[in-house]
Amino acid sequence: MIVAKNISKIYFEGSKKEFYALKNINFEIKKGSFVIFKGVSGSGKSTLLSILSTISKPSFGEILFDKEPVSKYPDIHASSFRAKNIGYIFQSFNLFEDLTVFVNVSLPLIPLGFSQKDIDKKVEEILTLSNILHKKDEIVSNLSGGEKQRCAIARALINNSNTILCDEPTSSLDYENSMNFIKTLKELKESGKTIVVATHDPLFFELDFVDKVFELKNGVLVE
Amino acid sequence: MSSIFLSNEILIFLFLQTTIYTLLLISFIYSITILRDWDFKKSTVLQYKLEKRSYLVILIISFSLFIKILLFFYFIFSIDNLSHFVVGAMCAAGIFSLEYGEISLFLKLTNLFFIGIWFVLNSLDLKRKDYKYTKIKLLLFIFIFICLTFEYILDFKFLLNIPLNKAVECCSVIFETSSISSKIPFGLVNSSLILILYILFVLIVILNIQKKSILLLFFNILFVYISYFAVTYFFSTYIYELPTHQCPFCMLQSEYYFIGYFIWSALFLGLFFSICSVVFYRNNSLDIYKFYKLSLIFTTIFVFLVTFFVLKYYVVNGVFL
Repeated sequence: MIVAKNISKIYFEGSKKEFYALKNINFEIKKGSFVIFKGVSGSGKSTLLSILSTISKPSFGEILFDKEPVSKYPDIHASSFRAKNIGYIFQSFNLFEDLTVFVNVSLPLIPLGFSQKDIDKKVEEILTLSNILHKKDEIVSNLSGGEKQRCAIARALINNSNTILCDEPTSSLDYENSMNFIKTLKELKESGKTIVVATHDPLFFELDFVDKVFELKNGVLVE
Repeated sequence: MSSIFLSNEILIFLFLQTTIYTLLLISFIYSITILRDWDFKKSTVLQYKLEKRSYLVILIISFSLFIKILLFFYFIFSIDNLSHFVVGAMCAAGIFSLEYGEISLFLKLTNLFFIGIWFVLNSLDLKRKDYKYTKIKLLLFIFIFICLTFEYILDFKFLLNIPLNKAVECCSVIFETSSISSKIPFGLVNSSLILILYILFVLIVILNIQKKSILLLFFNILFVYISYFAVTYFFSTYIYELPTHQCPFCMLQSEYYFIGYFIWSALFLGLFFSICSVVFYRNNSLDIYKFYKLSLIFTTIFVFLVTFFVLKYYVVNGVFL
């Protein structure tokens, strides 16, 4: 269960430019559910996801993951929590363009202390699941948008994390690749993972397997 | 200027001291502001700010205190080096016998123990997700900072008063052989001093195995006290291979392969870890046995080192001094 309690994020605090990217956000996300945060660009979706993932901290309020106040964790523990529990698919993929698909996907396993043999095995499995095994030795910059997306999915799943956060995952995909991606998310949900998607893509709004849709408007949550 | 204040070693030392002190002063000010408003249970803007700030402050403190440890060795090394310029001094002993010398050295040593405890506390805090020891760590730092302020003032007072044109006493006068018995505590003579040292060592080993932390600390303090006199008036003669040469400082020189640094470090580290076994006795998240083990290891290294010189002398020369 993920609980957000009175989350706010203030940028340029104390200066003339000060503004609230998020204001008093409260919600609960049950384990294994599929939740969408929709809203136009600048509504605070990415900020909320980065706080949910412990990449950044709220200005006040807190995030509880299974009753653990992860937003209060010191950075080193937040990183460790993230590495074990969160899979994140970024809007622009955030892959290392000059490295191969295999290396990109294997990177999250390195700090966790896996042996090279285990890493090889896990990466092969996840690349097969993400249908990108045939490109494993390809440099990322040579991949198409859809292939990059699959590579990013593989990287998000490699740690077998129970929570997958997706930030505008279909923004750079065509219709066919978007539908393929949605299909993958459905499969992940069916396997018991909690999926949180921040998007303004209408494709997501009519899906029958979505449990809850939250709308963000100027940093305020409208259910 | 008739002092060694403007020598390269001292200027470098004071420059580093001042830089580190400035960093510590900034950390001290921030520590007070953090302590004033810290409440981990709150999820307010201020608390999040304090958590971020504490991370940076603690990083600065860790760096500065680590440099302070290195500076201690540099200080001893510099004073020993400069003894060649001071009339009458043959090693650091002559310079430390001047006004503020001994108190300055004692304070530096004491501060090292506090700094060590701070580092253990810090490593404990870094393992926590709830900043459990942050407050106590910052409070300890404030106390350390006050001690370091005294140390900083004493450094100036001491270093400003080392004359170049006035003879100071050399170690052979300070620790002269004719009056040994009056200098060794409890009216002991060398043989009984050494006997007590080895008995104390055996006791420390037994208490270490039995994990009796308070008793261990008591005997470790006694052991350090006795060891100081034993090294100065007995073991040092074997290190220098000269029955009339008794000094705790000359062994820090290159002629003796800087063995003094290892001997004294091992002795004080043994004491430090036995202090830790008492201070962190009730802490479940720390492997307390590690402190017992380390205390025993360093005390044994010390005993091994000093004994080695006696045995080496006997093997080479066939007699004891």
